[in-house]
Amino acid sequence: MKKFSMRLIMLMVIVSIVASGCQSSSSGGGSGSEDGIVTINFWAAPNPSQQAFWTDMADKYMKENDKVKIEVSPMPESPSSEAGIQSAIAAGNAPTISENISRGFAAQLAASSAIVPLNEIDGYDELIKSREMKETISTWKFSDDNQYVLPIYSNAMLFGWRIDILNELGFDAPPKTYSEVLEVGKKLKEQDSEKFLWARGDLVKPTWWARWFDFFMVYNAASEGNKFVEGSEFTADDKAGIETLEFFKNLRENDLLLTREATDPFETGQAIMSDIGPWTFPYWADKFPEMKMGENFELSMPPVPDGVDPANAKTFADTKGLSIYASASKEQQQAAFDFVKWVYSNAENDMKWFEETNLPPARDDLSTNDTFKAYFDKNPQLVIYAENIPNAVPPIDNEKTVEVQELIGKEALIPVLNGEKEPKAAWSDMKEAINGELK
Amino acid sequence: MNKSNARLGWLFASPYLIYSLIFFLFPLLWATYLAFTNWNLIAPDYEFVGIQNFIQAFFTDTVRAAFFVTYKFLAMFVPIVVAGALFLAVLIHSLPKFKGLFSVAFFLPYLASGVASAIVVNGILSYNSPFNIWLRGTFGLDINWLGSSLLAPLIIALMMAWKFAGYYALLFVAGLESIPKEIYEASAIDGAVGWKRFWHITLPMLYPSFYTVTILAVGLMFGIFTEPYVLTGGGPDLATHTWQLEIYSQAFERLNAGFGTAIAVINSVVTFGSILVFRKILEKWGAKHGWE
Repeated sequence: MKKFSMRLIMLMVIVSIVASGCQSSSSGGGSGSEDGIVTINFWAAPNPSQQAFWTDMADKYMKENDKVKIEVSPMPESPSSEAGIQSAIAAGNAPTISENISRGFAAQLAASSAIVPLNEIDGYDELIKSREMKETISTWKFSDDNQYVLPIYSNAMLFGWRIDILNELGFDAPPKTYSEVLEVGKKLKEQDSEKFLWARGDLVKPTWWARWFDFFMVYNAASEGNKFVEGSEFTADDKAGIETLEFFKNLRENDLLLTREATDPFETGQAIMSDIGPWTFPYWADKFPEMKMGENFELSMPPVPDGVDPANAKTFADTKGLSIYASASKEQQQAAFDFVKWVYSNAENDMKWFEETNLPPARDDLSTNDTFKAYFDKNPQLVIYAENIPNAVPPIDNEKTVEVQELIGKEALIPVLNGEKEPKAAWSDMKEAINGELK
Repeated sequence: MNKSNARLGWLFASPYLIYSLIFFLFPLLWATYLAFTNWNLIAPDYEFVGIQNFIQAFFTDTVRAAFFVTYKFLAMFVPIVVAGALFLAVLIHSLPKFKGLFSVAFFLPYLASGVASAIVVNGILSYNSPFNIWLRGTFGLDINWLGSSLLAPLIIALMMAWKFAGYYALLFVAGLESIPKEIYEASAIDGAVGWKRFWHITLPMLYPSFYTVTILAVGLMFGIFTEPYVLTGGGPDLATHTWQLEIYSQAFERLNAGFGTAIAVINSVVTFGSILVFRKILEKWGAKHGWE
């Protein structure tokens, strides 16, 4: 009996080892080439419109190139797409290429040699030229002078203003400087003390990525796009940083911020300013069809400190792109890059992307190229996003992005908003903490 | 048991045993090994760092916060869910008809997605929700529900209790159904009726259900993730920062997988230790009432 039990246990162990070792053979690793056909795995962002776009592109490309087989699949989200990629790399199942890569995550991947510099692949310069993205991609260069991500889209984050309420208050355009913003705020409170300038619950949350849509929007405008971190150096503009925190302090002291969760505060007029990306418009079309640009809202770049020219304002770029994985063979990497180059050699493909996703393609000529004109005529609210693509600063390219952005919240923004620290002291504490983290 | 029966038993149990080996034992061993490395899951190379990750965990404020926050959740959630489940069970048990229907109805929240229910709660507690507008208008009360270090964990505990009370009530219903009628009849002769009967007869007789429900509830508190992730992000001031949020943040946001797994190992030890303590307390209570 004992013998049988032991045999059965041994058998179970063997079966489970074999089973756990069974992994998809269609990983990005290995040669990926059979009978002269190179197979590449493309992981699309986990949403139907982006998957449909890349599947369509892959089908068209394969019709023209019978030596390449592209398998498009959605990237796993367990629980986030970044975690899915990380697990896939650890398990040896990384794809050849994937989209949905932010600059911060790319820095983490690049630091571990998990992705390859795209600028070292044949055809890179040709792609940048044919897609007209020389200026846009210049801000994407990593501290080691390489390009690890090819940005697909770039949302220059803007502030929306309830122009109908501004008009009631006696203003005919959104404010551009801090003092103008405070003036609007004071008038608003005089008219209705229950209303707020900006309602954003995330302002006091420690979530690292929340800083992209509050702190960095205002800081990038104040500093005219100064780099916050360069390589492993904290290079932020002290003056602009303190002015940014002063601005938040003034908003708090004048009771202009609602730092609690609120349902559609901008749309209902509870707040008259809001950080807005192009993804908002399909939501409005569905839930708030009455929201019309020029009638009840306007879009503008973030306000700047008094004395700074608003024309030089920069903002945060919510942007993601494509990366090619180091675990793929050279042949697969080149094949994947050639596919991308083919997609972006035709502006019509960017147009198709724009139509399907509403995410502005990361091109310098988006607002001037005739291919996109008809679409902008139909969607005038997107014009200002396109115009500001070159003015949008992508996220930090440091592998400690998460830690750095958590420290911005923990040491500076949240204590200032809670009235626990003065802007100067908060900035100094944050700087010291970030320097300690980057060492 | 004869030989062929034993063989058959092993054979029938083998699918589950194989499943457990693949999905529990190997990952556990692998995670324990990882806890002693500095691997981030993506770099080709990594080093063995001994117990450094464990030492670092003790000096990390977010790990310490996760430790204490879990006990705070325990103190709030366990009494609420046990009392709530018991109340529902007694209610269902006393129904003359449709017991099954009501049992299923109360069980339904258990099937609701954590993300969906967190979004609903977020809507109810939002600044401009009808509920908060009414509170402000009627009583002049402006409560920052999720911005308060005391209220935010309480809301999450209540939410979890709403979700699990119906499920745990089923266990209590089963316990109530299994109490022999003769015991009630005998106790009635001794004058134990109404509240006295419930307190001195029903509750002690429900010991096996109490035991199961309490242990399940305690274990659950060491694995909270979705609700604080969606509602508070672990704030305010780490007041809702749980073990799972910390593990997720370290392993998948900061890419410190080695450190993250070390925290996961500490979490398992703390969970195991805490459950052991609760078991001892419950067993003492059980022994006092004749349950050995």
